[in-house]
Amino acid sequence: MSAIEIAVIKPPHDMGGNKALTVVPDKPGEPIFKTEWHRRVLGLTVAVGAMGAWSVDASRFARESIPISDYKRYSYYERWLAGLINLLVQRGFVDETEIIAGHAVSSAPSLWRRRILKKDNVKSVLQEGTSSKRKASIPKFEIGQKVLVKRPSDTLIVKLGHTRLPHYIAGMVGKIILLHGSHVLPNSNAHFKGEKPEPLYSVVFLASDLWESSASLSDSVVVDCWESYLTSANVK
Amino acid sequence: MPHDNYDNNAQSMMPADPALRVKALETILREKGLIDTGAVDAIIDIYEHEIGPHIGANLVAQAWLNPEFKSAFLADTEMILSAAGLAGRQGEHVVVVENTSLVHNLVVCTLCSCYPWPLLGVPPAWYKSDSYRSRAVREPRKVLDEFGVSIDKHQSVRVWDSTAEIRYLVLPMQPLESYGLIETDLAKWVTRNSMIGAGLPCPPLK
Repeated sequence: MSAIEIAVIKPPHDMGGNKALTVVPDKPGEPIFKTEWHRRVLGLTVAVGAMGAWSVDASRFARESIPISDYKRYSYYERWLAGLINLLVQRGFVDETEIIAGHAVSSAPSLWRRRILKKDNVKSVLQEGTSSKRKASIPKFEIGQKVLVKRPSDTLIVKLGHTRLPHYIAGMVGKIILLHGSHVLPNSNAHFKGEKPEPLYSVVFLASDLWESSASLSDSVVVDCWESYLTSANVK
Repeated sequence: MPHDNYDNNAQSMMPADPALRVKALETILREKGLIDTGAVDAIIDIYEHEIGPHIGANLVAQAWLNPEFKSAFLADTEMILSAAGLAGRQGEHVVVVENTSLVHNLVVCTLCSCYPWPLLGVPPAWYKSDSYRSRAVREPRKVLDEFGVSIDKHQSVRVWDSTAEIRYLVLPMQPLESYGLIETDLAKWVTRNSMIGAGLPCPPLK
């Protein structure tokens, strides 16, 4: 695949390897939340998420799916907020009149009102988390094996849908270094099409294979890949 | 993918100012009975005041002092963390990667900003920035340089891109100057950035 082809189809959230500005480290004592609205976005996103109407995969896809121009100009919490609003509307929890009015027109179905996160349960819900690990199936690859990475577009279950395969490792050969058991497949789960768990691997790539100029021949990058992102590489 | 119609992009119809926007959304959700305001406040309070890098720092200090704990922390991380009640939201599956004289580990999430929340709290702005997400995998040594961390020529750099639900925590090397300290003092040397790989442990600011 040519660089131009990649540039055309690479979505803005898939940033690995892009040219970008200097990283600005935080100063000691910097506040956790810069402003009050950052707090509210985090609190609302976590609270609504805990209702169980969608998965973390669906949340991520919603953030990735905001218009490219918005994605590029929005700050981190603005992306979260935009994704949350869009998901709430797409899943029928809030409607157009309400979005425009800034007020509810009707109350939510009691089924959902009963499922909302209550103050007393916050601690236990955060402490419990939501595991993505499922019953293990027999892995196709083993530790030490060389694998060839597919193109992100070849891993999509839904057209223009979600994948967790970054473009910078497409077509590259890496080596399996860790096996994590079977995990929910985001490519399906983000679209409410079932969990379809698959073996998940950590795959190591030589930085010198990925980038034209690498500072050191021994530097490496590890990427977590679901089994369907990989094919076996017939190289030693 | 983006469609500029209402069904898929309702956010465009809400106020552009994020402070007004989140206020309007919270009002709608409260009136619909879809959120308990007390729960939202409690979530914020926990992430602002309870969960933070001091949790990871205590584990690192313990690993430095106790070789048995260190082996278990590296080999049976999930067991150790669940037993301590630390395997919660965004830290359900954790792998600890150890820095040595041969390898320096650095953690990033190029696709969003995945981070071990129960151990380190809310990720810092730089970790979530487009610059870090773009450059950490391509030129980690330059990025580390911007953090004031220089890596020995003989040390290789390994970058972990958290693309799945596995969260990575760096176990930094213990500085020689900190040998002999007790666990609670040692924990103060373990900075948040050192557990991401973007810093090294250092003496606490007086």
